Amino acid sequence: MNWLSRLLPGSGPAVAPALRSTLEDIAALPAPDLSRSHYETRYVVVNTETGPMEGGGQRLLAVGAVAINKGLLHPGDAFQARLGSAPADAMANLLRFIAKAPAVVYNAPFNQGTLERAFENNLGSIPPLEWLDLMVLMPSLYPERIAGQARMDAWLGAFGIERLDHRDALLEALAVAQLHQVALARAKQQGLGSPRELLDAQSSRKWLRGS
Amino acid sequence: MDNSAADTLIRTHLDFLRRHAPFDRMEADALRFLGERLATAFYPAESEILMPGDGAPNYFYIVYRGKVQARQTGGVAVTEYSTLTLGPGEGFPIGAISAGRPSTNGYLAVEDTYCFQLPAADFLKLQELSPSFQLFCTRYIASLLNQSREQLQVQFSQRAAEQQTMTTPLSGLIKKAPVSVAPELATRAALERMVEAGVGCLAVAGEDAKPVGVLTQSDILKRIVLPGFDLTRPIADVMTAPPHTLNANASAYDAALEMATHGVRHILVVDAEDTLKGVISERDLFALQRIGLRQIRSGIESAADVQALQRASRDIRQLALNLLAQGIGAEQLTQFISALNDALTRRIIELNLDRHDLYGVEYAWLAFGSEGRHEQTLSTDQDNGIIYVLPEWADKEPLKLRLLEFARDVNNDLAACGFPLCEGNIMASNPDLCLTFDEWREKFGSWIREPHPEALLNATIFFDYRVLYGDEKLAYALRHWLLSMTGGNPAFLKAMAANALDVSPPLGKIRDFVTDDDPRHPGTIDLKKFGARLFVDAARVLSLRAGVEATSTAQRLRQAGGRIGMPAEELSAMADGFHFIQLLRLRHQHLDTDHGSSGDNRVKPDDLNELDRRILKEAFRQARKIQLRLKLDYQI
Repeated sequence: MNWLSRLLPGSGPAVAPALRSTLEDIAALPAPDLSRSHYETRYVVVNTETGPMEGGGQRLLAVGAVAINKGLLHPGDAFQARLGSAPADAMANLLRFIAKAPAVVYNAPFNQGTLERAFENNLGSIPPLEWLDLMVLMPSLYPERIAGQARMDAWLGAFGIERLDHRDALLEALAVAQLHQVALARAKQQGLGSPRELLDAQSSRKWLRGS
Repeated sequence: MDNSAADTLIRTHLDFLRRHAPFDRMEADALRFLGERLATAFYPAESEILMPGDGAPNYFYIVYRGKVQARQTGGVAVTEYSTLTLGPGEGFPIGAISAGRPSTNGYLAVEDTYCFQLPAADFLKLQELSPSFQLFCTRYIASLLNQSREQLQVQFSQRAAEQQTMTTPLSGLIKKAPVSVAPELATRAALERMVEAGVGCLAVAGEDAKPVGVLTQSDILKRIVLPGFDLTRPIADVMTAPPHTLNANASAYDAALEMATHGVRHILVVDAEDTLKGVISERDLFALQRIGLRQIRSGIESAADVQALQRASRDIRQLALNLLAQGIGAEQLTQFISALNDALTRRIIELNLDRHDLYGVEYAWLAFGSEGRHEQTLSTDQDNGIIYVLPEWADKEPLKLRLLEFARDVNNDLAACGFPLCEGNIMASNPDLCLTFDEWREKFGSWIREPHPEALLNATIFFDYRVLYGDEKLAYALRHWLLSMTGGNPAFLKAMAANALDVSPPLGKIRDFVTDDDPRHPGTIDLKKFGARLFVDAARVLSLRAGVEATSTAQRLRQAGGRIGMPAEELSAMADGFHFIQLLRLRHQHLDTDHGSSGDNRVKPDDLNELDRRILKEAFRQARKIQLRLKLDYQI
């Protein structure tokens, strides 16, 4: 049984037939081989736009995503959606854009958390994606630049990356994607040549600094 | 899926591109095409972006953020800079990607750098889409052309310095082994040795070959003949001791200074062990300074006989080498050679007029072919003729005979001065080429009326005529008539155009160049037949069509091309291409003739350096472009 079955009718909120077929398509996609090098891998950098929720907390308003495919950031390989009145469609389309690629965020506790909540609320379940958090990885990859965890702006500044509009989920994802390219370059130098190795390193407390 | 995301990111590309030349003036469609296809890559500081070993580049790169350094790799420097830093908005490698060849430079990120990357195929498509970008790339290639010229300069100034300047080390000036005798030798025997060897300076050296003295011709009179010196005494008693010596590494300038300071005319040259290596005379040094444009010119104009002109002819070659060394472009260089050869020919004609009385005869000495176009290289044989007017009262035969005898002598003297007799007998001494105004007109007219292959070939030689000596009015009238005949004759022009398209530029589909399949010259390209001539023939058609009187190819291109509405930039790119090929021919002929073999036009592309190869390819592309124009204009 894969995770999709939990999204199917009976196991959660009702899912429209069209959406269900989308989700089936996504589930049928081949899983990428995470032991290939970064430069043979498609990563998807995901970012959220949120607003305050009634009763406290943040509500997901929009998502933006930019792929880094084989090391390159191509403008055609990008996605954005507002949740608006069809949040389930937006989340399913995001999932289809990610297409089982390793997902990259800055500040996973917030972004990954917000996204997973939205998947669960709208699609009935949390898809089992691989998540990389640059907030955690960057200080270990570039300890000489900034020691310890820092705000995203500090890292963007350290590499001269312009953040064109921080209220726009897509443009912010673009900035994070450029930061991810920086991360991949150093990871490769450090012998962390594949997404699998990077994921393992992220979960190894010994390797991590400042977390 | 969702195109609004792509549009947003493409917009960020366009915002960036619009701030940088040449993209700021790029046509909207082309800019959009570019923006859609650029991918961003990151290169950390000190990492390689593109290296010559990577093969033909897959991408055209535009620096987005950071700094990239272009560094020359390999032993041969092909550009004037050894490193060049590129910043945001600057693109590379334009030359390599245009030519589909590995880059000559290595490109390294000197800081953390983001580059936009455009796939190579899209780069070429972009040039088609965007005239402004194409122009930018053409200009860039043209600047490479300049650099290559500067490179040639360096190469030749080295050679010229070795042979020519006052900084030449004395070791390079010694022409033969020194004549030396032992100090004990009887003076009579020493003098006999001097006569025998035909030298003006006798070195005296011990058994260890270290010079101890010197005796020169001028000493003989003062010290031996007049005082009645006893010739049985040893030479040591009469020689100048110690001799003036200089190390072989000293320069010609040092030697000149030494001679001037001590009032001597000879210097003994020794090596590090003080062993005698040779003798340098004042005359050897003088020869170094002798060759200059003005000197040659006045040498020619005052030459009293063919021997003096032969010397001048050798000087012209030497000057050509010097001018190449000074970085003069092919156009000016060939004009210089042409001007000096003109002066030489005129002087030969003048000297012959002393022996052949042509007083009162209206005639002109014509130059055809490359000489007529001011485009002589260094191994050009003679192509000449005579046009004259037959006075009503005169008999034709005796006058023509006089002209032919005169022409024969001039042809022979030209041959003696290094312009070989024309194998095809295109010479004024050929009765078929010593013609009256009406006969020339008839000849030209028949070729135009019936443009069979031989007529067309003749047209390519004879229509490029120019007056070297005599009555310019005759030639002018003939030119005027010729242009009036050809300009209004599309059939003839079409035939000329077809003839000009007979040979295509040797650009390969798979390899860069198509080389000659002649087994005697494997891997070579004849730069005359498959290079220069493509431009020359096309320019001729344009000039005949547009009524341009100039005979030089560059002038024809500029004037005629301009008249039929070809853009000036395109025309000068074509002229640049032509000149580059001429420059390669000159260089090749120089290197060859220096080695004693006769210069030809066969160049091995594999022997050229990377940049020259690239530019040569671009030059051939320019040839293709001008041919394409003819094809379109004449529907061939």
